[in-house]
Amino acid sequence: MQVDKIAKLTKIVTIGLKTGRVTIKYPFGAPLVTESFRGAISIDNTKCWGCGACVLICPPNALSMKFEKDNIIIEYFKGRCIFCGMCADVCPANAISVTKEFELASTDLEDLKEYVIHRTSKCSICGKPIGPTSELRSVIKSQPVSEEYINLCSDCRKKLFAKAISIRFGAST
Amino acid sequence: MSLSSNLKAIENKIKDLGGFIETVSDNTVIVEITKDNLKEFAKWLYENNAFLKTCAGVDEREINSRFTLYHIFGLDEMGIDVVVKVSGSDKDYTPTISDIVPAAEWCELEARDMVGIRISGHEDKPKFILPQDWPENVYPLRKDFSYDYRPQSEFSKFDEELPKEVGLPIGPYHPILHEPEYFELYVEGEKVVDVFYRGFHVHRGIEKLAESPRFTYKTIPFLAERICGICGFVHSSCYVLTVEKAAKIEVPERAQFIRSIVLEIERIHSHLLWLGIAAHILGYDAGFMQLWRIREPVMVLAELLTGSRKTYGINIVGGVRRDIDESKKRKALEILRNVRDEFKKVVDVLVSVPEIVKRASGTGVLPKEDARKLSVVGPVARGSGLERDVRKNYPYFAYRYTSFKVPVYSEGDNLARTLVRIDEVFESISIVEQLLDALPKGPIAVESYEIPPFRKAVGAVEAPRGEDVHFIITGLGRPYRWRVRAPTYQNLPALKVMLRGAPLADAFLTIASIDPCFSCTDRAIVIHDIKSGSRKFVNLFYGRRYAGR
Repeated sequence: MQVDKIAKLTKIVTIGLKTGRVTIKYPFGAPLVTESFRGAISIDNTKCWGCGACVLICPPNALSMKFEKDNIIIEYFKGRCIFCGMCADVCPANAISVTKEFELASTDLEDLKEYVIHRTSKCSICGKPIGPTSELRSVIKSQPVSEEYINLCSDCRKKLFAKAISIRFGAST
Repeated sequence: MSLSSNLKAIENKIKDLGGFIETVSDNTVIVEITKDNLKEFAKWLYENNAFLKTCAGVDEREINSRFTLYHIFGLDEMGIDVVVKVSGSDKDYTPTISDIVPAAEWCELEARDMVGIRISGHEDKPKFILPQDWPENVYPLRKDFSYDYRPQSEFSKFDEELPKEVGLPIGPYHPILHEPEYFELYVEGEKVVDVFYRGFHVHRGIEKLAESPRFTYKTIPFLAERICGICGFVHSSCYVLTVEKAAKIEVPERAQFIRSIVLEIERIHSHLLWLGIAAHILGYDAGFMQLWRIREPVMVLAELLTGSRKTYGINIVGGVRRDIDESKKRKALEILRNVRDEFKKVVDVLVSVPEIVKRASGTGVLPKEDARKLSVVGPVARGSGLERDVRKNYPYFAYRYTSFKVPVYSEGDNLARTLVRIDEVFESISIVEQLLDALPKGPIAVESYEIPPFRKAVGAVEAPRGEDVHFIITGLGRPYRWRVRAPTYQNLPALKVMLRGAPLADAFLTIASIDPCFSCTDRAIVIHDIKSGSRKFVNLFYGRRYAGR
């Protein structure tokens, strides 16, 4: 009985010997992550419209949007990113892709930031900023006749429309 | 008894006491009652085998200009949640029910601290959740309190807190669990005579943050997942379950299956982690290494199915974001088969190691009656002979399509809790296999949904540590009130019973044996009267430290 008990305890040695070494020589050797791993995102500058859907959905506010005089800047800060990939799910332009990158440590904070800069279109009448030029371009592509009024801000558009209506009903130009 | 006859009984009782049934939906009954009759109704429920799940204080001034306290009871045998609502102005006193239901003490004090609901019977108790230097009459969970407000600190107030005598401090970190906690054990020789616990070092105000404009229904699952580092998916599942219940969203079956699968994988990894740590605490490091080696493929499996080792991030209201295809299914079944074989071998050795068995058996005993009084949950309850499991009592997601045993041991000691967890690992592996085999076809999320405001719902999910309860009052764009009760919140008061009278050397294992998750609980203060040798629940909060005042 006693011998049995001791024999059972020593089984852990057999288990250990059979398994051998399981630790691996990181960072050398095969990649650590599986095929479905979600890492940092990458934004394709050429595809992005600057609509800001990703900024709205981002749970930790890793994506933010800044409005400057001539530019609209989307900033991606990897330091805050939780790698959930919600932005890639909502992007209407498929500009965001989830990579497998996770070794992001850096001594410089700027290395963790990525920017997408869009030029701001301005209203051709009053000069007020309307939105990113690339977004307006993509609207023109999908909506026929929109190029007629796309370069106007919503206020000027309303004014023009009201004027057109009033002319139809007999007002003097 | 059928559901309707149970409802009849509740309805009759509530009518006798001058209250009324507000709403009945699925398995939740919301009743409103006057303050004077609250105690009697609570007593009636408690005598009918109801467990107190939690209570939640809500600032409802924007809806009906009142402050409301919700006591959430669960009739486990019938699978009904009874939400008892008591409201009044901020001047009114609500009677405490903690003399009848001892488990209510913590959450009542929380409602007092955070919302400012006055509760008679708790007037002179020290601050519970908030730090001692928090200004008077400032209540963080009231709606007029901005979520980013930071009050000035008065350090002098901390001096009042210092104990008059010095015990043996364990903390601010558990030596092995690496979690913020603070225990003071008062000892006579080698025997622990008293315990003091001060928690809430890492209270992050998540409930408040979720009410802020920073978050919406869509992004809160990711916040909820970060309540706990080990059982985060439980919290996000519980949140989406509660929202779906409140808004009556029909979730596709495939999504329900995937959620259950991931929940069980989380349970396997959590139990393996705990078993390893228990072996480590008892000085059996060979077991620790082997168990954690077995755990690694489970983590890889979780990553394969969800895209992340932890904080899976696949839960959204109305479904899940990642599907399980055939190749993943095959891989998962293969990994689980290996895990089961390897775990069986190691556990066989583990439960025959004398240093484990001798030190775990007979220590940290929690008798069944105390377990019942404190409404403990999870492996702690099941180790003390209470057959409580949300998966069986209130079936959610895809658990109704599986068959599994709920392991129950009646000894109530550390060994019983260990054995419960060992058995559960095997059960969980079998549940995942059953679910993967029966995975139905179809979409994994609903296309669109609407969440009407001011609906109430209670949701419960069985976490590795026990029952996790969320209570939600829906609002516009985000919950009006979101109350989270982590399982450790319910189990921590039981430590006092387990530790008293036990040798000091067993304290570390006993504290670890409830598998505490301080960060997700973070709320607390407990002691016991040194002189009362009996296990009576008198003076739950007046321990040695406050005895002199």
